[in-house]
Amino acid sequence: MADIALQNVSKSFGAVEVIKDISFQVKQGEFVVFLGPSGSGKSTLLRMIAGLESIDRGKLLIGGRECQALAPGQRDVAMVFQNYALYPHMTVRDNMAFGLRNIGMKEKDIAARVADAARILEMDALLDRRPSQLSGGQRQRVAIGRAIVKEPAAFLFDEPLSNLDAALRVRTRVELAQLHQRIAATMIYVTHDQTEAMTLADRIVILNDCRIEQIGTPLEVYTYPASRFVAGFVGSPGMNFLDAEISTSGKEAVATLGDGSRMAMTISVPDGGAYELGIRPEAVQVTTGRGDTTGEATVVENLGDRTLVHTRLNDGTSVIALDGGRSQIAPGDTVTLRFDTSQLHLFDSAGRAYHAD
Amino acid sequence: MIRNARKDTLIAYVLIAPFVAIYGLIFVYPTIDMFILSFQDAPLITFGPQTAEWTGLDNYTRLPGDRRFDTAFWNTAYFVLLSVVPGTLVALAISLGITRLSGRLQSLVLALFFLPYILPVSVVYRIWDWTLNFQFGIAMHLFDTLGIDRVPIFKTSTWFMPAVAFVTIWWTCGFSILLFLAGLRAIPAEIYEAAELDNAGRWTVFRKLTWPLLWPVTALVLTIQLILQLKIFDQVYLFSIGGRPNDNLVMVYYIYQRAFQNDDGGRAAAIAVVLFLMVIVVSVLNFQLLRLAERKT
Repeated sequence: MADIALQNVSKSFGAVEVIKDISFQVKQGEFVVFLGPSGSGKSTLLRMIAGLESIDRGKLLIGGRECQALAPGQRDVAMVFQNYALYPHMTVRDNMAFGLRNIGMKEKDIAARVADAARILEMDALLDRRPSQLSGGQRQRVAIGRAIVKEPAAFLFDEPLSNLDAALRVRTRVELAQLHQRIAATMIYVTHDQTEAMTLADRIVILNDCRIEQIGTPLEVYTYPASRFVAGFVGSPGMNFLDAEISTSGKEAVATLGDGSRMAMTISVPDGGAYELGIRPEAVQVTTGRGDTTGEATVVENLGDRTLVHTRLNDGTSVIALDGGRSQIAPGDTVTLRFDTSQLHLFDSAGRAYHAD
Repeated sequence: MIRNARKDTLIAYVLIAPFVAIYGLIFVYPTIDMFILSFQDAPLITFGPQTAEWTGLDNYTRLPGDRRFDTAFWNTAYFVLLSVVPGTLVALAISLGITRLSGRLQSLVLALFFLPYILPVSVVYRIWDWTLNFQFGIAMHLFDTLGIDRVPIFKTSTWFMPAVAFVTIWWTCGFSILLFLAGLRAIPAEIYEAAELDNAGRWTVFRKLTWPLLWPVTALVLTIQLILQLKIFDQVYLFSIGGRPNDNLVMVYYIYQRAFQNDDGGRAAAIAVVLFLMVIVVSVLNFQLLRLAERKT
């Protein structure tokens, strides 16, 4: 178990730069999730740490040791692949033992480690089966087991849950969280699923367009997104974005929305002018009392404990608002919306974020 | 849609009828006839009920004492030994090399190795005769400059079979390479990446991953090659011209001699039946053995 540091790391495929000067540190025992859309470079970054892709410039330190020039097997990391990458002709036992045999470990020690891993993952009964005789979830366990037996400095997961069905994905996610608590190992986990990132991570690294957009705890990233991209990518359903004219005086600002409604807030922005106003659905309440604006309900999604009301304002802007689980709103109704101005965000034309107090 | 099962069956029979008719006419009927012929003393040219004579098992009982049959049998076995396993290994080695290349270069190299396969046997014969001919062959000039004595390769029985096996491997291994390449491509790249992280060296990767995962393809290539090479004829026939055909006899060549040079359809048919059984027994045995080996690994 060790800390991992990337220092000014870059990589290109031919003329295309896929990782641009990235630096950050993963603390020992930390669970870090790389979150980003496809093409953001998150998998490439993980594979660079594993050694499956070369690092063109910069340094990679694993446990203080410079690793950027070492072969994958010498970096003391273990990887769980998206498609599991089990050796199809070997039994589960041999799959797990393969890496240990290659470093010349004694068969007795190998057997002990395999037995340990099988106990941790509750798959003792599967040891003599072949991958083709296992279900998707069981294969996933074997892949994790193959990583555990190596007792590596760090575990690398490349979208490990994306091939499982929805129910199994939720269950395996919980098991992964438990596994991390139990063995307290350094883990780096790549996903495009923001729910996985929010639930598993100690810290999330959000990547976009080959660059780091933000590093923070799930709550930081959710509450104080550093950019327009992060605000839109994290959270489900996504944040509402509305065009707004801002006029400021000191720390006070007044936003005028496209439909003419105005609201006051406490926020520090350098200048007035055109901004994008962001607000999460849970901060937009449907109310029977006085509100900030009104809209027409277009779609009503009742989720049991809460209801998502998709509305259209007078100027055509879409806003998702939240109502209680027993909402009586029907499509076509006119609803009054109240914005919680303490949970507002403003984004300038460069995508920089400003948060309301 | 409600379908009429009787009508469907009828249509099915009508559709396969042309194939069954042609297959029966040019494969099943001659095969049965060959078996019947093998129990008769039947000249081919005037073959008919008036000349054919039933001789029972005579055509078969004469085979063990037949010197030419003996030569043909052992030459065929020797040729199979020289061509099947070496040819498969060569194809495997070449395909392992090609699979490491990428893009256009890979296609180009593959095309170069596949090229001989599309040549007709007469062209193959010409190319290698020009190369290895005792008097005019290009290789002989090379021998001269290197100070090695010229060898009449296709005129000595020591060199004849190995040389024909070599030419055959050169000619046919393109197809095996193609099969191996398809097999190699079916192995997911992630498995090799996992092996890299598992500290597996190149030799371990080949021995523990590539070889066992490629085994079904290897078994297929071996079986195809075995059947193909048991039926060797053209190359031996062409390279024997002006040489010593009776020393270089192989099974099909001997059938050809008996049938079309000696006009002895009955004895030719008996040899053909023996070859037919050999091919079936050897290939079934081969395939079963290979499957057994696969289950063990």
